Amino acid sequence: MNPTLSRPAWLLLARLGAVALILALWQTVVSAGLLPSMVPGIADVASAIVTSLSNPLFWGALGRTLLAALAGWMIATVVGVVLGLLIGSIRFLDRSTSILIDFGRSFPVLALMPVVIMLLGSTTTMEIVVVALSALWPVLVQTIYGARRQEAAVADTVAVFRIPAGLRFRRVLLPGAMPFIATGVRISSAISILVAVGVEVISQAPGIGRQITLMQQNQQWDVAFAYLFFTGLVGWGIAVGLQKIEDKLLTWKRQMND
Amino acid sequence: MTSATAPASPGDVGTQANGTTSGTGSQPSRASRRGASGGRASGGRASGGRQAAPRRKKPPTAAGQLLQSTWLIVVVLVLWWVLSARSTNFFIPSLQQILEALGTDLTNGVIAGGALYSLSNLFVGLAIAVVLGVGLGLVLGEVGWLRRVVDPVIHFFRCIPQAALVPLIIGTFGIGQGPKMGTIAFACFWPILLNTIDGVLGVEPTVRHFSKVYRVPKPLYFRRVVLPAALPQIVAGVRVALPIGITVMVVSEMFASTEGLGFYILNSSATFQVPQTWAGALLVGVVGYLLSVLFVFAERRLLRWYYASGAK
Repeated sequence: MNPTLSRPAWLLLARLGAVALILALWQTVVSAGLLPSMVPGIADVASAIVTSLSNPLFWGALGRTLLAALAGWMIATVVGVVLGLLIGSIRFLDRSTSILIDFGRSFPVLALMPVVIMLLGSTTTMEIVVVALSALWPVLVQTIYGARRQEAAVADTVAVFRIPAGLRFRRVLLPGAMPFIATGVRISSAISILVAVGVEVISQAPGIGRQITLMQQNQQWDVAFAYLFFTGLVGWGIAVGLQKIEDKLLTWKRQMND
Repeated sequence: MTSATAPASPGDVGTQANGTTSGTGSQPSRASRRGASGGRASGGRASGGRQAAPRRKKPPTAAGQLLQSTWLIVVVLVLWWVLSARSTNFFIPSLQQILEALGTDLTNGVIAGGALYSLSNLFVGLAIAVVLGVGLGLVLGEVGWLRRVVDPVIHFFRCIPQAALVPLIIGTFGIGQGPKMGTIAFACFWPILLNTIDGVLGVEPTVRHFSKVYRVPKPLYFRRVVLPAALPQIVAGVRVALPIGITVMVVSEMFASTEGLGFYILNSSATFQVPQTWAGALLVGVVGYLLSVLFVFAERRLLRWYYASGAK
């Protein structure tokens, strides 16, 4: 629509301008006193961001959160893919589990937190369990979709040539469901980080979410906002990275579709 | 934010939004929706063909289908009942105790008041998110250059953990109902926005040109052309936003609150009323499930024309 914006340099400039506009708006609202006095200005948050960068406590907390999210995510991926391929390829199981899976997937796992804390305490194990429970559903549901979508011709070929179950699982079912699995795994990666931070906010489990709550309670609002900024940045970076990997790994699929 | 050089292709927002919408695992786009239910219709029997399956085996009766889809739930509940009945762990009460606690508090109004408080927060927050998300999404979907400029900002905000916002927003604006609604609205806003943009981008180019050639006035164009065309995608966005909203609702009441379902769960666990804690968590799960079932039901009715148009 606007020819100048199709040039990357202009686009970058316009994007920076948009960010600057938002920041300016924030600063104006804060200095005008429209928001409660706790909300920090841009300069405070910026300096808090810079000091956080050299703060080992911050990096440690962020690392703990990411490790817990990673562990929960990996458990969810393995369990979700194996269960999903099984359920999706066996009609009977698919029918039997559908209500249970719908229930599980609409269950706000963070509501279970007090129960899980009672059972496991405010530990990293508890955090990993809650993350895995939350991140499981997208992988599971997507894998079931993928496994269900077997083309009739492929299914017939497998039957006619009496392809053994193991080989069928590995070379037919898995690649066929792969694009769906990839989407599920990508979605659950975002959920893992969100939930890991959420768990730390509610419970006393150590990590960046806990730090945000602590800083807020200590009235260090600029640091709290800086940490919030970093968690958003990390989640965003991971989302973009995984999208790139997915595009690259699944090029064969895209070409087939075109 | 200088690293904000996400891919600059025009369909940028759209493709990413597609990923978001599948948050619940369901496929919102027309093509895949067709595909997913197509797979269901074809029987999906790996050993038989599409044609062979019905001949070899009669389709199950309604009762048989009901039995098939419910037996596992019965088994799970019975197992839970039997296994937890012998539990000596203080933190794992028997299912009987949990249900008794649920029954007592449901009838004496403790839960009902909390549920009303929680759900009104949820619905107001969601309504704000729908109005703002759809409004802004329609504009961003139509105005390409603006969409490309703000795309990185949208994705950054979408990635901010909603739960981490709770202490900040409540700490800043107080523990009233308003800040809770605001947090829910903020969390639900992004998936609805991204899906609306995606839906607007999916409007048939021919229809778009047609409206332009006939100089259909802008308000009419938005109301009668873009909005209906984007509606399936918008509804999919709200479906994704609903569980997010429920989660934020519970978290916002666990953080600093004296009311609501989240408070009921947290308070009972803090006072070691273990069956009540389990009952509250179970109830939130059931409420979440019922809301999503109701939503799908409403979606079927609202989008009847869409399913009837062969998009199935």
